[in-house]
Amino acid sequence: MVKQVGAVAGSSGLGSNGGKLHIGIWHAAVFLAFILIWWGLSATAGHGFLPSPRQTFNAAIRMSGDGTLARAVIESLISLVCGFALAVVVAIPAGMAMGGVATVGAVLNPYVDALSSMPRIAFLPLIIVFLGLGYEAKIFMVFLGAVMPILINTYAGVRNCDAELIEMAQSAGAGNADIFRKIILPGALPHIMTGLRVGASLALINTVVAELYTAVSGLGGLLSIYGNSFRMAPYFVVVVILAVIGMILMYAVRLLERSVTRWRIERPW
Amino acid sequence: MASINLEIAEGGLCSAPLAANEPAVSVRNVSKTFRRTNAQQDLVALDGVSFDIKPNSFVSVVGPSGCGKTTLLRMLNGLIRPDSGEVLVDGKVPSPGPHMGFVFQSFRLMPWRTIRANVAFTLEVHGVDAKECNERADYYLNMVGLRRFADSYPAELSGGMKQCAALARALIGQPRFLLMDEPLANLDAQTSEFMQIELMKIWRKHQGVVVMVTHSVDEAILLSDQIVLLNPRPGRVAEILDVSLPHPRWTYDVRAHTDFIAMRAYLWSRIKQMVANDPESEFFGRDEAILAEIARR
Repeated sequence: MVKQVGAVAGSSGLGSNGGKLHIGIWHAAVFLAFILIWWGLSATAGHGFLPSPRQTFNAAIRMSGDGTLARAVIESLISLVCGFALAVVVAIPAGMAMGGVATVGAVLNPYVDALSSMPRIAFLPLIIVFLGLGYEAKIFMVFLGAVMPILINTYAGVRNCDAELIEMAQSAGAGNADIFRKIILPGALPHIMTGLRVGASLALINTVVAELYTAVSGLGGLLSIYGNSFRMAPYFVVVVILAVIGMILMYAVRLLERSVTRWRIERPW
Repeated sequence: MASINLEIAEGGLCSAPLAANEPAVSVRNVSKTFRRTNAQQDLVALDGVSFDIKPNSFVSVVGPSGCGKTTLLRMLNGLIRPDSGEVLVDGKVPSPGPHMGFVFQSFRLMPWRTIRANVAFTLEVHGVDAKECNERADYYLNMVGLRRFADSYPAELSGGMKQCAALARALIGQPRFLLMDEPLANLDAQTSEFMQIELMKIWRKHQGVVVMVTHSVDEAILLSDQIVLLNPRPGRVAEILDVSLPHPRWTYDVRAHTDFIAMRAYLWSRIKQMVANDPESEFFGRDEAILAEIARR
């Protein structure tokens, strides 16, 4: 359960417009410093080891011109989105069942622990045998990566429900279905959102891993091609694109989190 | 499921339709033992407790920690059942529902719901449609002075306001019985005094049976017609006292009334005695220790 603090959204200094502007300036300054350091390193490192920001930019223009980049991004996004969606659809109901029915939770918990600490890459040969090298295998890898954090957090959220609120609902004569729907689920929502956030980043990581190890395609495929032939400028373009996708993904999950847990004390970042 | 009268009555609590001489609540020789998983002995919360509550009366249950006050209140609501003996409310075994308003010490508002939606919860879980729920919630929020906070979230309210919202949530079901578990214990001293007056007025206006568990002797005398004093470990009825201070009590200084002073002194001496004789209390034997200390000097 989230501890409440007696503050109102927007009342803190950082929540004001001036605060946001301040943060914006800092963001720009840090970004500039990052580019400068990158440039400095590329100038001092030996030829071909580290591309300069300019070389990377030029490679990006070239790659978007001939459609390589767009194709790879779309391929990766298909695996990422399908795998993540599948994980959400499976993990949330499973976590609820485990948290809501004590026997289900107790019986499945050891398997959840085992699976969640296993490196996903260990399943890869098995996945290839059963699902081949196409999208199915990649989607399944992404699913495997994202499913556990979502499930574990949903389970924890449902289990850590507020016993006092449940008793309150019982005293009002609420039935079990209402108690689950109106007390336990909303109480678990912040946990579920944490699970989605962790799951989303693992989904992206697993997308790239799957593309590196199965049929070479998508952004992971490009990493493999450019990496093996030491073409560092386009290689860096792919790295930057992955970072940007990661940021957008996290931002989207955070927006969703904020819209469903608006009652919590809002933070401007 | 209990049926709900949808017309907004003049007030919150509905007066009992019983004959005045019949008890509204009857507790007969009730015992309850809780199994403790990591303790040597089971905990006997209540042991042979009996008392009656007359219709339209305000009853306080007072006693030191561990006398089973809260257990007793949960039994009146029907949340738990006695091991032996019987609890009858309106002549029936009680079951939870909107006819039994319950106010908890810890407010128990859902942080993700607005104050209005929190208050409406009682009706919502009994299938009352949303429009009706909101109208009724606003009516009761108005009654406890929180109308303009209807769209706020609990985190934005002070402790006193939260307890008012919890009171509105209990009243919205138009309960015949209002059960309160140390409702003012989490509030600061000043807020709790104002809330006492608020409670007196709501009860005077709407009648019904109120049962309040409290640690505060002052609060019990101030508000009640009858005080049930419980002994700790095991919980037994030590004494039942009638409070005959004239109503309405917000019109004069009750605390300056000689009956109040006498009753307060008496109740305190009883409770102090119970605590000093309770081997499980952290104050066990303290009074004698202090007396011995003074005697030595």
